[in-house]
Amino acid sequence: MKRQSWTLWLFLIGLLALTASGPVAAKDLQIGALYPRSGSLALLGEESWRGAEIARLEINKKGGIGGDSVVFVNADGHDVAAAHSEAERLIEQSKLGLILGSYASSRSMAATEVAARKNAVYFELGAIANSVTERGYQTVYRTCATAFNFSKSQSKFIAEWLAPQLKKKPSEVKVSIAHEDSDYGTSVADSFKNAAKEFGIQVVSVEPYAANTSDLSPVIFRLRKTAPDVIIAVSYAQDAILLSRQAAEFKLGIPLFGTGGGHSLKSFQEALGDKVEGVLNVDFTQYEVNSAFTPGLKEFVALYKATFKEDPKSGHSLANYMGTKVLFDILAQTKGSVEPNAFRKAALSMNLPEGTTSTGWGVKFGENGQNLRADPLIMQWRGGKLVTVWPKAAALMDAVLPK
Amino acid sequence: MSAKRLQLLGITLLAAAIVIPAFVDSRFILQMLTLIFFSIAMTSAWNIPVFGGKMSLGHAAFFGIGGYTGAILYVKFGVSPWIGLPAGVAVSLLGGVIMTLPLLRLRGPFFTLATIAFAEVLRMIAIDWRSLTNGSVGLNIPFKPGWANLTFQSGAPFYFISLILAIAVVFIAYRLRHSALGFHLRASASNDEAAQALGVDTRRAHFIGLLWSSGLTGLIGVFYVFFIYVVEPNTMFSTTLFSLQPALNGIIGGIGTIWGPVIGAVIMTPLGEYLRVYLGTIQQGLNFVVYGVVLIVTVNFIPGGIVSLVRLKSSNRSNGSGSPSGATEAH
Amino acid sequence: MELMIQVLVSGLLIGGVYALISVGLNLIFGVVRIINFAHGEVLMLAMYATFWLNKVYGMDPYLSALLVLPALFFFGVLLQRVVVQPIQEASANMQIFATVALSLILQNIALIFWKGDFRTIQTSYAMSTLEVMNIFVSVPRLVAFLVALASILLLYNFLKHTFVGKALRAIVEDNTVARLMGIRVERLYLLAFGLGAAFTALGGILLIPFSAVYPTVGVPFTLIAFIVVVLGGLGSMSGTFLGGLFIGVVETFGGTYVSPALKEAIYFGIFILVLLVRPQGLFGKGKGTEEIGLK
Repeated sequence: MKRQSWTLWLFLIGLLALTASGPVAAKDLQIGALYPRSGSLALLGEESWRGAEIARLEINKKGGIGGDSVVFVNADGHDVAAAHSEAERLIEQSKLGLILGSYASSRSMAATEVAARKNAVYFELGAIANSVTERGYQTVYRTCATAFNFSKSQSKFIAEWLAPQLKKKPSEVKVSIAHEDSDYGTSVADSFKNAAKEFGIQVVSVEPYAANTSDLSPVIFRLRKTAPDVIIAVSYAQDAILLSRQAAEFKLGIPLFGTGGGHSLKSFQEALGDKVEGVLNVDFTQYEVNSAFTPGLKEFVALYKATFKEDPKSGHSLANYMGTKVLFDILAQTKGSVEPNAFRKAALSMNLPEGTTSTGWGVKFGENGQNLRADPLIMQWRGGKLVTVWPKAAALMDAVLPK
Repeated sequence: MSAKRLQLLGITLLAAAIVIPAFVDSRFILQMLTLIFFSIAMTSAWNIPVFGGKMSLGHAAFFGIGGYTGAILYVKFGVSPWIGLPAGVAVSLLGGVIMTLPLLRLRGPFFTLATIAFAEVLRMIAIDWRSLTNGSVGLNIPFKPGWANLTFQSGAPFYFISLILAIAVVFIAYRLRHSALGFHLRASASNDEAAQALGVDTRRAHFIGLLWSSGLTGLIGVFYVFFIYVVEPNTMFSTTLFSLQPALNGIIGGIGTIWGPVIGAVIMTPLGEYLRVYLGTIQQGLNFVVYGVVLIVTVNFIPGGIVSLVRLKSSNRSNGSGSPSGATEAH
Repeated sequence: MELMIQVLVSGLLIGGVYALISVGLNLIFGVVRIINFAHGEVLMLAMYATFWLNKVYGMDPYLSALLVLPALFFFGVLLQRVVVQPIQEASANMQIFATVALSLILQNIALIFWKGDFRTIQTSYAMSTLEVMNIFVSVPRLVAFLVALASILLLYNFLKHTFVGKALRAIVEDNTVARLMGIRVERLYLLAFGLGAAFTALGGILLIPFSAVYPTVGVPFTLIAFIVVVLGGLGSMSGTFLGGLFIGVVETFGGTYVSPALKEAIYFGIFILVLLVRPQGLFGKGKGTEEIGLK
């Protein structure tokens, strides 16, 4: 009898010990790195993490920050609940005052809530949902573009380039949106509706669908009925492929305008072959871009290949690399301190014009912590490559009207 | 272990649980314990219909309904969470009635399958009904600390809330199991026809059992929303998190018993977190493989769950069989 | 009108694949009486096998059936022997969990070995279409439909006219009596599981020319297959075939005329409705379903 209660006690103590096992060696500058690295978002979550990791390896080779080498405490936010408890763990157990991440918007929303409430700094490098920097938190920063920035670039391109090509006024251009119905697709589609209003473009229909489907013909049939001038597609990897394949099968013949995600991936081009030609896309900076606009990009690609023995899968790694370097610049100013006020002062003092970083973005944080100089670029699949076509400063060639 | 010693152990553990926040300064341990208490409550609530052999894999439905009710009332209409709590229970009960009445005609695996479908339909509705739920983007509980808003800067309040919740649900489950309803359910589980022949209205018993379960799950859902701040369809109606996980805890601890779910939750919650932290980042997915293997081993070698090894006599002193699957005897 | 016909055709084509995958499940469910939640993972493995044969050896996906089908047949036999047989006598609830665990393991093994990438193959006929009076028919989808139809017919005749087939049907009808009649039930369980896996694998092979493969690709198919089996009735091959077509058509019509986002919700709704109104299935004989429901 007695023994049993002892074993139970031992068991409980053991559990506590397991959950509380100690942090890594001191003297290093520790930063939490929270990305979805298993589950359905593992692919680009991992790709995003790689960008941050390369920046870390690079700075450590140069002697770290103020002599301290940078160490990541890695965490897997594979779903919202996990992102929440991992952020808790990083801040409370590992005693970190600074987390970077997180690729997926829903994970970012959960993790930034935790960080902001505990007065820890959260440095977002890849999630684009507008709301991440719209809650008035003083410790949440974002280096990458928002969903609204994406939509604005798209709308501007449609108004300034596509409309004249179609010999129409912007207000005569009819746009349909086909989007996958998770938070990514939904928030981007909403942003587009708002941005389109600013430019007087009409959105004639919105078609949400579930990304894991094996048949998108209903979407195609509905699009054929509305017959828009251009389709804004917001898709993950497999549904981007399926949508384009079925559009080709049913000879839909309406230009497709992707919104990052699946439309930027090499696997999209591989699966579609020559059918990919002419598909437009808006995204973070990718690799076929004017190198004068993106100093440091070539070096990044070389480092990526040396570290991971393959080509980058998408621009996610680049955006995370750029953002992590900005973070290191801020930390160099604060001498490694992550005290929120000192960090904020240093962050807000950052002032880089566009065309001076590896993504071509500038750096100037607004009061809400959002980088105001991170405009996504327009690109087009041309000859099997995703070539930047707009704006002029970043473009490698001119856009052509897709057939 | 005698009943008296069991009580003593229980009181010691409880006392320890109450004083822990005073001594443990690591909020992470508090957070872990909070998750464990939530998990105990979830699993015990899920386990109530299992007394009668009704195994649901759709409890995320009630969890989500409750959580969404609380969140929508608070975020969209400014209604206090303290009203949101009973409202969440009420709406979950309504969901319970809608699901239970027709589905009770189904048995065994078909009941289980239909519960999955039920939760999936709700998830898709939550995605699609954007004016109410804000779709996949979801709702955020704003940060206004205070008991009135059920929002806190420190971890201690939710530690105690979840502790009380866990104790309450286990207590309710215990009382139900040893009430007339509990006997009817267990009779139905071991032989439904015989129980009916003896004049037991087994359908009514299943119905009431499921209502208790759905209402309690809805209540946990509301608290959880204020704990995690973010409400979105794929989390709140997540099959893995809130339909499968309680069932896994139950199986590993021992389904249909009182202490099985508790033990299952106490072991599996930290194990899940631990595996994710230490295996998940080394090799994506390895944590789930380990999880799956543990489960298969349990099902194959200790189908009665861990309680069947511990042999807590007093937990089923008053009943001989009572196990729904015929495989969970815990003498 | 033209659109309606187009929608109907598209629905029937995808429905054929659903039917094939469901036939595999029905065999396992009907004969072995196990709720196999890892059914979709068999499909996933077959798709990966086909994908790698194409990627590494440049093998045509349809040709790779010669290798993939036997491999998955033996994989099915192995599953029955190693995972299912030990829990054959356990409660249905325990069986559900063993197979849920199996599905978790297989999905994450796939993630470990092949990462989360969405992989597709490129064939010369991937996007070729036939056009008949303004109705478009995708060639790989048509092939999938025809092969599904042919193989279900083959299975139907096998069950009807061969000795082994009759024995399998006897087990579906009444397991105990079949055993008493001297049928070696355990062996036939192995066969049924293997065959079920092979049919599902064929579904995967037919999907890969137009569908991506990734670790969780099987999950929606598991649910679809269960819905189709319940609709069609346990042990009824023709019922399963019609049930598969029905789900395909309902999904496509719902997606086109209601909302693409709700097409899954629509057939889940139908599933619950059918369970309630006619739990023996729309086309089923009734007896088998009742019995498994009793366990």
